[in-house]
Amino acid sequence: MAYRLLIVDDSPAMRSFIRRVIDLSGFELAGCWEASNGIEALEVLRGQWVDVILSDINMPGMDGEEFMRHLAADEMLRAVPVVIISTDGTDQRIHRMLSLGARGYVIKPFRPEVLREALEKTLAVIHD
Amino acid sequence: MTDGGLAGALAESTAEVLEKMFFVRATEESVPASGDVDGDLNCEVSFSGNPSGRLVLRVGLGAAHSMAADFLGDDEGALSEVRVSQVVCELANMICGSVLSRIESGTTFRLESPRLLSAWEASGPHTVTHSVVLGGGILTVEFSTERPVCPMSV
Repeated sequence: MAYRLLIVDDSPAMRSFIRRVIDLSGFELAGCWEASNGIEALEVLRGQWVDVILSDINMPGMDGEEFMRHLAADEMLRAVPVVIISTDGTDQRIHRMLSLGARGYVIKPFRPEVLREALEKTLAVIHD
Repeated sequence: MTDGGLAGALAESTAEVLEKMFFVRATEESVPASGDVDGDLNCEVSFSGNPSGRLVLRVGLGAAHSMAADFLGDDEGALSEVRVSQVVCELANMICGSVLSRIESGTTFRLESPRLLSAWEASGPHTVTHSVVLGGGILTVEFSTERPVCPMSV
């Protein structure tokens, strides 16, 4: 099955790294979109349905927390699973993002297989 | 947390980021933190939390190109200066977040977007520095806070 993916991160380098890890992990993509913050991500989601979102937290404009709140408030978009990828490994932040509906949380720095496993776990839920 | 504890957190975070994301094992080096070198890239990440402060990363251009190539999976010669700078900024961002996650586990923090500095700028008194030797040069990271890190936040 080919997946449609949205990567949300203000760092172009990190977006490239995530895309590279996904490609090397063997995930078949039907489409991959990128956004540098929550505002851009919501614009993408108005025109494209995606199977999973990978999102940073600290971003200018609209950060990951506010982005998650917008998703939760939208009847359609709240169904899209989100995996957070962040440098913030504090317990408080992780709990807050999971309580906002994040399906997974990957702490940077991460080994490529950790991201692959988080994606596999999230996509397996879609199949169920 | 003592300066020694903070220095350990900075060293562990730097090594972890380089190994996991850049596939590099660096050698620790004792080098002076001050002084600007032509051709070095300097990047700053400011953060707010308990306490607030900043991290400044300095790396030689040769080492920066090599790391960017490892990170992006591209040939060094094909990388523009902009892309190399973006990777260096992300490296600084990850090290800073990793250090803060170690020392501010009981609270949350916020990172500003990394920015390139035209020259090395000396930091305040509550500063620890860590340097490592990479294939193409030396990488130095300076972590400074507006006041000593509170032991309760460890």
